Amino acid sequence: MMDESNPYLPYTVKIEDAWYETPGERAIKTFKVSFADEKVSDTWTHEPGQCAMVGLLGIGESMFCISSSPTEKGYLRFSIMLMGKVTSALHQLEAGDTMSVRGPFGNGFPLADWEGRNIVTIGGGIGQAPLRPIIEYIRDDGNRDKYEELMVVYGSRTSKDLCFQDELDCFMAEEGTECCLSVDIEEEKWDHFVGFVPNLLMEVEPSPENSIAITCGPPIMIKFVIGNLEKLGFKPEQIYTTLENRMKCGIGKCGRCNVGHLYVCKDGPVFSYATLKEIPEAFA
Amino acid sequence: MVDSKKLQEKAREILERDDVRRLLGWKRPTYGFEAAPAVIKDASGVDDLLFDATCVNNLASFITLEEKPPVPRGEEPDTRKTAIMAKGCDSRAIVQQLAEKAYGRDDVIVLGIPCSGVIDRRKAGEMFGDVSAPVAAECEGDKLILEVDGEKKEVDRKELMMDKCLRCRYPNPVISDELLADEVEKFADDDFSDVARFEKQSQEDKWAFFDEQFSKCVRCYSCRNVCPMCYCVECIVTNLKPQWTRRSTDISENTAYHLQRAWHLTGRCIECMECERVCPVDIPLMTLNRRMTRDIKEMFDYEPGVDPEAEPLLASYNPQDPEEYIM
Amino acid sequence: MGDFKFAREKMADVLSGLGEYQVLAPLVTGDVVRFREVEESEVPVGERGRYANSVVPPKELMFPQTETLFRYRLGDTDIDVSEPAGDTGRVVLGIRPCDAQAFAIIDKLFGWDYPDPYYQKRRENTTLVGLACGDPGSNCFCTSVGGGPASEEYLDAIMYDLDDKFYLKTITDKGEELARALSGVLEEAGDAEKKAAEKQADEATSKIGRSIDTEGIPEKLPSLYGHPFWEQFSDRCLGCGICTYLCPTCHCFDIQDEMEQFDGRRARMWDTCMFKEYSLHASGHNPRPTRKERTRNRISHKYSYFPENFGVIACVGCGRCINYCPVNIDILDILTKSREAEVKEEKPA
Repeated sequence: MMDESNPYLPYTVKIEDAWYETPGERAIKTFKVSFADEKVSDTWTHEPGQCAMVGLLGIGESMFCISSSPTEKGYLRFSIMLMGKVTSALHQLEAGDTMSVRGPFGNGFPLADWEGRNIVTIGGGIGQAPLRPIIEYIRDDGNRDKYEELMVVYGSRTSKDLCFQDELDCFMAEEGTECCLSVDIEEEKWDHFVGFVPNLLMEVEPSPENSIAITCGPPIMIKFVIGNLEKLGFKPEQIYTTLENRMKCGIGKCGRCNVGHLYVCKDGPVFSYATLKEIPEAFA
Repeated sequence: MVDSKKLQEKAREILERDDVRRLLGWKRPTYGFEAAPAVIKDASGVDDLLFDATCVNNLASFITLEEKPPVPRGEEPDTRKTAIMAKGCDSRAIVQQLAEKAYGRDDVIVLGIPCSGVIDRRKAGEMFGDVSAPVAAECEGDKLILEVDGEKKEVDRKELMMDKCLRCRYPNPVISDELLADEVEKFADDDFSDVARFEKQSQEDKWAFFDEQFSKCVRCYSCRNVCPMCYCVECIVTNLKPQWTRRSTDISENTAYHLQRAWHLTGRCIECMECERVCPVDIPLMTLNRRMTRDIKEMFDYEPGVDPEAEPLLASYNPQDPEEYIM
Repeated sequence: MGDFKFAREKMADVLSGLGEYQVLAPLVTGDVVRFREVEESEVPVGERGRYANSVVPPKELMFPQTETLFRYRLGDTDIDVSEPAGDTGRVVLGIRPCDAQAFAIIDKLFGWDYPDPYYQKRRENTTLVGLACGDPGSNCFCTSVGGGPASEEYLDAIMYDLDDKFYLKTITDKGEELARALSGVLEEAGDAEKKAAEKQADEATSKIGRSIDTEGIPEKLPSLYGHPFWEQFSDRCLGCGICTYLCPTCHCFDIQDEMEQFDGRRARMWDTCMFKEYSLHASGHNPRPTRKERTRNRISHKYSYFPENFGVIACVGCGRCINYCPVNIDILDILTKSREAEVKEEKPA
């Protein structure tokens, strides 16, 4: 847990394993890390949906969702897209290197409230990273029968840009999990849907009956997915998303991550559409 | 003297044209010695416009400050003109912006206003203290007639004008589509004696002076943002990859910031003195810029902001360029 | 608590009496008035009518412009946390009631969730001795936002400048402790001083020339999100940091790592929501891309979002933003226009 006496001090983590999920200019690299200090790893807890400030001393930090569920014991996962100063430095790290982690921050998904319901996750590109902990949490043996059907809807620009490919293959084969994938443009050897994620959603038509939908991806995708979910009959209280913004402190003090009066680092990053609807800045 | 009615009528005429998007002028502020810039988009706002000795803001900054958000699909970008009221110094800024091709001559309509000087609010503060109501002030010959909190005051111009006005070389606009008043006489010659006075000091004294001044800096970047010549889309001081100047306010970073800016303005600064006016902690920024202005005048016989066709000095090369300053 | 007085000439004795504290006061620093440590033989600015307030608010004493969070050396995993403030207690001598009220406001944010140890340690170590305003500035409006020229609410002690003498009233335990330290210099004050102080306070309050009725503004501002009236102000905003840096309740900061060879520090420094880089994502996306969004966000934060989260308006009416804005963007003007602006009814989706 966060050092209450000084929330600006990071923990050191060792990279157990690191691999590329997707290639290219905006490559996504996953890091599997464990705390250098045993006392920290023994007391660390987090909820799916929470985030952490990941970085390097001498470079800086950025906020990333913790892409692993607390049911995955002994390590944390972060899937990081190459973008700017901090991510460029992180992408140069390999297994055996260290980096810094500060957290966990923010609220998590209200998984307890969602027990007994059908869960639909709708992700686009790197947006699948914050949804992964929900999926892993639900699929964990100890939790699976607390939830009804699990539907994973996920798409990217091309098949190379899909994250967690080995896990997606597992979902496809699993009972009680429906996995629907798409790519934006037609490509060879692609047997699944071709088109944008919001369209894929309308194609698979999840029922709003006793369901919760969680979406994450590019802002434009979220906008259309929410529109389509409403068309399918989902109420705003049944729709959740997880937002991002530039962050520095992670603890609601530096001011910059606000969306209206809400701070994404503190009141979020998980928000229901019912909450966001009331905030003019959320969908500006 | 500028006739307000004539000024407003001209503004109305301009704004009613199809090809004008907005007009930049001045209006009464909510308090004090400095008029407020007015950005008027239709004729309904023209009645607020005025010109007098409180019109300190250099409106040329607002031409380059305009933010143009991406045009929605299917829409055409708005290429209408900006009309701008410009004093002598303001018009030099426009000329320099044109010389640097920040925009085209056809993008602006310049309404030139010959200027007898503007008030220095710091000097006025010393003289009159804290005033509530907005002040009106007109130059009449050697005098400045002001209305301060309901009372008429008459003061010697020399005591209240900004330092730049006391040595202004271009009181009449150097570029204009129309002049809104009669031309005026130069107040005095500029002998750069302020520069000579400062440079007489020893190196240690000069460094001590700048150390004390730059230590005050809070890096609000108001000097940069108000400057008509600072319009880089990505400013070097906010660059993170790589970071040339840190954001921390230690003396080394503050000095680096100010010296960088002075260098980037060399051969471009048109001495409107806005930087010094806006600085909340009273750093005499013009000390640096005046020195650079005098040096480039002497070395290259060059003055920015006079000829819109001139090649920007440090962006051009001539084998006969003097090289004594290169170590 | 206690009522004391001391003659004006005794100010130097007061400063010596406070020898065990670090004394911070408004002093002329390179031509401007700013709060800093009093040096040998200096006398704090405080002549009535000569100065209303410091340029940079005393927030820089609790929340400095630049501050080291911790130091490190590449290759070491140990982090060296700088001690936030010395063990010596500090006294701020001559803070205006508005600036003290501002601390109470940002206390809520710095104490929120994870308390900020750097700010809090300084705050705990500091005794605030106010200087009641005899001549408010022409742009002061403290009385509209829950303050006043002689408001005692957020101070440990308060001084009144009565020309030939000062009347000092202690308010909290910290103030009492200070009075004990000055027992050699202070005399008991009588009815004359108390009455003179009361008279000064009443006169100062009546001199406050500007006001705004804030009733309903926090609730109304979000509904004006799409209203074009914001452009009247954002069109001439330069996008500099003056209003935010000089505001005693603005608290935003940046965190940056600085390296010299292998040694480095993580530091924080003031930041402003008026810069475009403030909310700029690494991807290039900016949720507040132009000055219109940023100006609207700033005012909404102070008068709507902060009250929503903490129950108080984040403004103390000190007037600095009005006095120093180079383009006369006047917050009272904005608030007045927001009262007048008509909320357009949203058509149901």
